[in-house]
Amino acid sequence: VTRPVRVVVAAAAAGAWVTAATLLWTSSVVPDGLHLSGVDAHRYFGASELRRAASFERFERWDFVAAQVVLVLVLAAYARWGARWSRESAAGRIGTGMLLGMLGFGFVWLAEIPFGLAALWWERRHHLSQVGYVEWIFGNWGELGGEFAFVCLALLIVMGLAGKLRQSWWIPGALTFVALGTLFAFVQPYLLVDVHSLASERPGLARAAQRIAAAEHVRDVPIRVENVSGETSAANAMAVGLGPSRRVVLWDTLLDGRFGDGQIRFVIAHEYGHQARRHIPKAIVWYALFAFPGTYLIARFTRRRGGMANPGAVPFSLLVLVVLSLAALPLQNVVTRRVEAEADWMALRTTRDPGADRRLMQSFARTSYADPNPPTWAYLLLENHPTIMQRIALANAWEQRSRP
Amino acid sequence: MAGVPARIIVRDDLSRSRVTVFFRLLLAIPHVVWLALWSIAAILATIANWFATLATGRPPRALYRFLSAYIRYAVHVNSFILLAANPFPGFTGAPGRYPIDVEFAPLERQHRLKTLFRIVLAIPAALVASVASGSGVGYTGASNTRSVWVSSFTFGLWFGILLFVVAFLCWFVALALGRIPQGFRNTLAWGIGYAAQLHSYLLLLTDVYPNSDPGATGVLGVPPPHPIALRIEDDLRRSRVTVFFRLFLLIPHFVWLLLWGIVVELAVIVNWFAALIVGRSPRVLHRFISAYLRYQTHVYAFATLVGNPFPGFLGRPGSYPIDLEVAGPDRQHRLKTLFRIVLFWPAVFVGWPLSYLLFIVSFLGWFAALATGRMPTGFRNVGAWAIRYSAQTNAYIWILTDSYPYSGPEAGEPAAEPAAEEHPAELEPEEAAAQPA
Repeated sequence: VTRPVRVVVAAAAAGAWVTAATLLWTSSVVPDGLHLSGVDAHRYFGASELRRAASFERFERWDFVAAQVVLVLVLAAYARWGARWSRESAAGRIGTGMLLGMLGFGFVWLAEIPFGLAALWWERRHHLSQVGYVEWIFGNWGELGGEFAFVCLALLIVMGLAGKLRQSWWIPGALTFVALGTLFAFVQPYLLVDVHSLASERPGLARAAQRIAAAEHVRDVPIRVENVSGETSAANAMAVGLGPSRRVVLWDTLLDGRFGDGQIRFVIAHEYGHQARRHIPKAIVWYALFAFPGTYLIARFTRRRGGMANPGAVPFSLLVLVVLSLAALPLQNVVTRRVEAEADWMALRTTRDPGADRRLMQSFARTSYADPNPPTWAYLLLENHPTIMQRIALANAWEQRSRP
Repeated sequence: MAGVPARIIVRDDLSRSRVTVFFRLLLAIPHVVWLALWSIAAILATIANWFATLATGRPPRALYRFLSAYIRYAVHVNSFILLAANPFPGFTGAPGRYPIDVEFAPLERQHRLKTLFRIVLAIPAALVASVASGSGVGYTGASNTRSVWVSSFTFGLWFGILLFVVAFLCWFVALALGRIPQGFRNTLAWGIGYAAQLHSYLLLLTDVYPNSDPGATGVLGVPPPHPIALRIEDDLRRSRVTVFFRLFLLIPHFVWLLLWGIVVELAVIVNWFAALIVGRSPRVLHRFISAYLRYQTHVYAFATLVGNPFPGFLGRPGSYPIDLEVAGPDRQHRLKTLFRIVLFWPAVFVGWPLSYLLFIVSFLGWFAALATGRMPTGFRNVGAWAIRYSAQTNAYIWILTDSYPYSGPEAGEPAAEPAAEEHPAELEPEEAAAQPA
């Protein structure tokens, strides 16, 4: 392929990327030009609440940052010396790549344990978690095993394709990962085992949920309650699934009496808003938009080490993957914050209850120690939802607009 | 004799008297009573021996003789009860008179620190022995330390899981044929020999640590040829990193074993019909199932630290240091094929405690390999034995061969001493074990 053709293809790809991203970005129902800053947090929270939330999140943020630094250092060391463990393999090219990938993942897991334990200690200190330290280390080995299996599957795909297509593996590779992401999004609701129906616990709320679903034109999406109160006291909810597997899932901690019915209805409307605005299919498209350049860059960076067909390049590819993921984090957060704001807007339109929204946000800050106004760097790097104050400002903006 | 605390000597010719086999447990009563009484004296002697060895650095000659006679007598009684030997034993533990005998490490100086902590040091060996002969930790249901003590004086009474199963099967075979299979006899001899090593160590006859390696335990002879053979080219070196993460590294292999296994199950059914009709396994199916069996062997070896490198996913011959050689496809007896589903059960019964033994040695081997970067020879060889037996059992179940699995622990090396040649042990297919008495 000649250079001009490459330039044209690259320009076309970039154009397609920008077009798709613009279409996704502008599909939001949240009106442009809303002013979501400048709301005084002291109007909604006491000084001690703000101090406590800031203190709680400060520790968690620095723990996260330290964990990421160690992660990169460990992977950098592994990229430098990891290939030596290929001599411990009697497997072929792909099998050896799997071994190196799993060892790298194993080192990362070991290195991250102290930071995870520190975060757990902090959450236990604030009564947000009831999980024991030993249970935390050994209790999730099934999940950890699943992650090891996924590492192997990913390397099987990448190295299998790289063996056939050499440097062009990233195109079908990215497609395959998008397909896997889609498959996972579809089956995820079926993987939630400890769930029950809302109607069996709160029939009144279940009827309200039906009305909300009908108002948002997603009456075929059922609502379930997941039992998590044995592990955490934090409240949460989520929209999961694709097509026939779509669900709205509430954590049972949301129904333990700390939140009023109005607040819970707002949460339900928010999650149905995700389903109504097709946020999960859109998230898959966003994922594809990141996956193509991501896999291309991995292919490009590992070229000097023989490309992804060579198992010796696997340790370096792990480092590239993690660095790229960290670099993409602020961009991904921009996208998810917009999506969450849209779900909030949908909930405001459906419930017409901005007061419930504000009270909910106040409750979140009190029960989960969410910092209403995090520092800018943390906002850019860590916040995948609008801040509490932005969400309150959104409620205020909707209230202003809906006044006759 | 160097390198092991005690060594088993086998002069048995495999023939058994049906009458004494039938009444074996009753005949053993006087020996059990006498052994129990002797055990009380042995407890006191061992306490005295511990103090004396701590003080002087070597056991007193009289106590050494007394305790070695006690262990030898226990070996004779165990051999008789478990059918590893035929004649009714004497009551004195005299050396050189019984077909299954034991010789001990010579009386030498012992390390005082090893003497001081002997009970603690013996726990790993006792763990292995708890499976092999029932004489170790856990079998008595007491706490670890106490049970090591208790077990050291009661191993003449207790039967281990593995030896019990083998002896149980031997009883039927011996009644039916007047002989027991070589594999069974050698398994019993190994278990009894290892228990003798453990007790020599515990009773302070020597400070040489017990060695579970079948080759070091005693003279076991040469195994019979078998179409499913294990080839070991392992250098015992282990990568500490892959040892540490071994369980996680196995995940893709277990997934692949499961998926491939589903297809193999279907192939085995077709293979059974084909072997029944044409009298041999079709070449394509034989190759396909053999590849899976070989792959399974590689994965089991990797999982249990019997092998070091990460195995490939295709079960290619010669691709792993612990490899399986699968001969054939050879002709198979149609009647054996027809009743295969019944005939394989005795092998499965023997394989169950062997699997447990494999788990124990790999569990202990994990710590040893992590600490030293090497797998102890004994653990590796015992593990290889269990894996080979498992592979032969699966090959038999999956109609790759009609040769019955060989349960003996020998790895194929010729006998180190000529003792066995005085009464050469005849080879006996263990298939007899599967036939009705």
